[in-house]
Parts: sequence; structure tokens; C-alpha cells
Amino acid sequence: MAELFSNLALGFGVAFTPINLLLCLIGALVGTLVGVLPGIGTIATVAMLLPITFGLPPVGALIMLAGIYYGAQYGGSTTSILVNIPGEATSVVTTLDGFQMAKQGRAGPALAIAAIGSFFAGCVATVLIAVLGAPLTKLALAFGPAEYFSLMVLGLIFAVVLAKGSVLKAIAMIVFGLLLSMVGSDIETGASRMAFNIPELADGLGFATVAMGVFGFAEIIRNLDAGAEMDRDLVQQKITGLMPTKKDLIDSAPAILRGTVLGSILGILPGGGAVIASFAAYTLEKKIAKDPSRFGRGAIEGVAAPESANNAAAQTSFIPLLTLGIPPNAVMALMVGAMTIHGIVPGPQVMTKQPELFWGLICSMWIGNLMLVIINLPLVGLWVRLLRVPYRMLFPAILIFCAIGVYSVNNAPADAIMVAAFGLVGYWLVKHDFEPAPMLLGFVLGPLMEENLRRAMLIARGDPSTFLTRPISGVLLALAMLLLVLALLPMIRSKRDEVFVEGET
Amino acid sequence: MSDAPSHAPVKSIMPKWVRGPQDFVGGLALMAIALFALWASSDLQGMRGFSFGAGTAPRMFAVLLLGLGIAVMVVGLMTEGAHLATYAWRGPLFVSLSILSFSLTIRPLGLVVSAFASFMIAALGTPETKWKETIIVGICLTIGCSLLFPYALGLPLQLFPRFLVQ
Repeated sequence: MAELFSNLALGFGVAFTPINLLLCLIGALVGTLVGVLPGIGTIATVAMLLPITFGLPPVGALIMLAGIYYGAQYGGSTTSILVNIPGEATSVVTTLDGFQMAKQGRAGPALAIAAIGSFFAGCVATVLIAVLGAPLTKLALAFGPAEYFSLMVLGLIFAVVLAKGSVLKAIAMIVFGLLLSMVGSDIETGASRMAFNIPELADGLGFATVAMGVFGFAEIIRNLDAGAEMDRDLVQQKITGLMPTKKDLIDSAPAILRGTVLGSILGILPGGGAVIASFAAYTLEKKIAKDPSRFGRGAIEGVAAPESANNAAAQTSFIPLLTLGIPPNAVMALMVGAMTIHGIVPGPQVMTKQPELFWGLICSMWIGNLMLVIINLPLVGLWVRLLRVPYRMLFPAILIFCAIGVYSVNNAPADAIMVAAFGLVGYWLVKHDFEPAPMLLGFVLGPLMEENLRRAMLIARGDPSTFLTRPISGVLLALAMLLLVLALLPMIRSKRDEVFVEGET
Repeated sequence: MSDAPSHAPVKSIMPKWVRGPQDFVGGLALMAIALFALWASSDLQGMRGFSFGAGTAPRMFAVLLLGLGIAVMVVGLMTEGAHLATYAWRGPLFVSLSILSFSLTIRPLGLVVSAFASFMIAALGTPETKWKETIIVGICLTIGCSLLFPYALGLPLQLFPRFLVQ
């Protein structure tokens, strides 16, 4: 326990330096700003703002990125409540009651409760990371290459199972990502792989390039498809009375608590935990409510619970990343990319070798959440005005901003072309209902998986059964198998049903 | 959404026995990618004894992707699924052109010219663009970026055309 406090003290020491506080603030503000802009989700926001953090020192860069991340999340819920457009998948359920509240002229309390709930959840999750960090790290140090490989397989399967849409296609996307990560030079032999003697490919595909193309640019192109003037029935009346009433607070307090617990648990699980968490929290509230019919008509619990849950999950999803080095979702995959660019190998050694980075990041998350509550609520009016900016003016600006950003990473014009190419790839993927998020996860994990696979095989003298006979690795793989079967069973069954129901699409 | 009425002509491209064209084509494309990767990594060394060569992992993933591509395609064949979505040409074309022009001009012409020109090209991506406001926004953005990137973020970007600076 004493160790925990000394660790937290170290963390706050790092996070409270003026420069880091400033970076945290800028990150949270910029994240909210971009997150509020219509048609740009969390992943795209983080991907697009990634390059501007490259010039910073590692701790500052990660603090800023984390700020961007939860800022974008916060921005997402703002749009859900005010314009009925979920800024991201995790705020989808917030629209149900949040927008209804806004229509009733209670947008202020809805936003306030979302912020308060998020902040409370953030506090709990921060403590949870601090408590769970050390034991999990010890566990991770006992892992050999075989265990790591199996853990990554499990993580990827989790991501697939919890993702929406077809399991088969999600797996295909992961493998596509793995394959893309093979481009470039081989770590061990230095042989050039699938680079076709193109100098720009010799180092492999850039992480920022792929992420920004597949998420940022593809999203822009897709939005253009839908017609730049998206249907935005903005709440026109002035937002009055920001503060929730006493009754609101009493109603939402238990919901916030339940949402936080649920979110924290689901967030640790790999694979889009935050999305599941918000849905699960909403369903739970509706189930245990005395009068479920209030939901969907502006029940404040329907805003409080999912917003707390998704924030808790968003933060606890840092646990697998920081302790095991395995990103549980696409945003965390972006964080891995950022860490790698700064020369930090995510994993258990971060905590032991760079404690100031680990604890500084954790404490800055708490500070960032606090900042969001204090700063954003008064700024709601500004965010609303931002929502009125038409997309036709917005998208070229975002595009050019991204182009400059990606160019400045390596000062390589070819990188910008690659982003455009991956933008088209991403557009194609979306058109064929392939999820780009698993692809990015595969792309990030590819080199790690290959390395561990190679080492494990070498240690076992080429005997692949090592993955099954080593107990931890075997259990992890068995779990992955079980999950996959559980996920595929209903799909096979429903597909068969679809065959019988002719023409029902 | 504008893609609802245009389903009919697209549907006729696919033979009748393809019941989920979206997955069918998607699967075929994945197979093509996998085969291409297999070909591209065919010159790399494979297993040496029990240690992996440079080509082992790429080929492994490519074979996996090939299998999954076949599976997706078969699903598209066997089960009723979505039709091919319609592609818009305007958005993708001008977005790509804009980036292309940016990357070709940023070195010789510098940030100011390049960013503004690319902004204008990108704005062609939607028919709703109103030119007067676009030019104003473009100028503001160019000024903003010229201040943000080289000064605030300290990135080594050249602002003006090379022939003017020298």
C-alpha cells in the first residue's frame, strides 16, 4: 500500500510539472475540439493528431495523446446529446436518452451528468490501474515468448468476438493487418520483404500512415459520399441551466456507480471494451429500473450509466497495454505506435524501467478528466457553435492539416501519397463491410507476434506443440479457441436461418 | 443516403448464383492480395532447420489470408447478403488528387502555395462548395498552418517556393 502511494506521488510529481499540465490541457482541449467536429470519431481524431505529438519528449507526448483520447471521447458524447450523432461507437446509447433530454431543454444537465459520471469513473479507473498495475506486471515478467504469442492470439480473438459484424471477416482483417506489417526489412536477417526495391517501403509501412489513411481519410471520403451536408437536427434552443437539479443527482448517482463498476471490468478485457461497456451499462439500467418505459424519453440514468461505463472502460483498457504491452483496441494500438516511435517498447518493463512515464501517464489521466469537467462545461456553447460549421468547409481543412502532419513526421512526400492510398483502401474496406479496426490491431501486433513466434519455436527446437504443452500458453490458447467457437456458433446458426428466409435482407 | 436507388444496375453485373455480392467480391479481393503476397515473398528464405527464415511468417500469414478469403467468398456465394455498395467517384478522386498535389509540390513550392492549392483541389470533392467562402477558409487555414507547424511545433517546413527564397 505504501508503495502504491509513493508511486502515485511520483506520478503526480511528473504530471504536475507546468509543461505536462499544459500538454494535458492542450491534449484534452484539442481532442474535444476534433471529437466534436461532425464525422470524426475517436480513432480518427487520435490518428490525425498523432504526428503533432512527435516533436515532444516521450512523457509529454503520451500525456498529450491520452488527453486527446479522452477529450475526443468527451466530445463524442457532447455531439450525441446535442445533435443525436454519436461521435463514436461508445456514445451510441447516449443518444437515446441524451438527445431526448436536450429536446426537452435539459441539454445542460445531460452534459453535466455525462461529465460528472465520466470524471467519477475516471477516478475509480485511475486507482484501479495503479492497484492492478504492479501485480499484472509481475505476472507478465513470468511470460516467455510462447506465452506472449498465445496471449496476443487471445487478445486478437477477443477483439474479433466483441467487434460488431461478421467474425470471419474480422479475422480476415486481422490477418490482412498482420500481412501488411510484414512489409519492410526482416528484424533478424535484415532481408527486404515485399518491398519491391522501393526505398520508401524499405522500413516498412509507417504506422501513422496506415492509421491516418484507413481511419482519417477513409472517413472523410465516406462522409463526402453521404453528401457533405449531413442531416444535423441541432438543438436550436439556448442551453439554459447547466447544473443538474438535486433530483437529477440523486437519480444518477447509483447509475454512475453501476456503470463505473461494469465499465472497469469490461475495459480490462481486450477488444473494444468501451463499446460493450456502454451498451451493457444501459441495458442494466433499463433492466433494474422501476419504470423502464422512461428510458428513451430522457431518463437521466440513461446518460449517466453508459457515459460512466465507457469512460471507465476507456481508462482501464490502458491496463493490458501498460502491463502486458498488448493493445486491447484500436486506440490503444495507436498508443503503441506512438510509444514505439518514441523508442518505448510497451510492456512490463515500462513500469520497472521508466516508472516516471508509467505513473506520470496514469496521474495525468486523472488530471485530464478533472480538466475536462472544469473547462468543458463552460465551453459547451462554443462546442455547439462548432457543430454548426458546415462539412464542406471542414473537410478540406482537415485533409490539408493531416497531409502536413503526416509529411512532417519524416519530411517524406511519399508518406502523404501512402496515406491517400490507404484512404482508398479504407474506403473500399468500408464499402465491403470490413472493419478497419481489427486490421490496425493486427498491423501493430504483427512484428511482435512474429518475433515471439520465432523465439518460441527456436527455444522448442521447432516443435509447435510447445504452445499447447506450456501450461499458461495452453490455457490462453484454449480460451481463445473456446471464445472463437462460442462466437461462431450463433453465426453459423443464423446464417443457416437466413438461407431459409428467402430474400430477407 | 443516395445509394438506395442505384442498387438495380449494380446487381445485374453479378450472376444470379452469387447471393451476397458484397462478401463474394470482398473475399475474391482478399484472395488476390494473399496470392500477390505469396508471389512477392516467394524469393525469401523459408525455414532453416527449426529456425524461421525471413519468408516464413509472411507466407504463413498469406496462406491464412488466402484461406480466409476463400471462406468469405464462399459465405458470399452461399448466403443472402448485401449488394455491392455504390462508389462515388467525386470524393475519392479529388481527395486523392489533393494529397497527390500536396506531396508533389510541398518540396519545391513550400507550405504556403502547396497547402492552399491542395485545399482548393480538395474542395472540389463535393458539389456543395461555395467558392467565395472556400477561398477565405483556405487562406485562413494556410496562415494558421504556416504559423502552427514551423513555429509553434518547430517542424522544419519550408514556407515559400524554393526559387523565391534563393
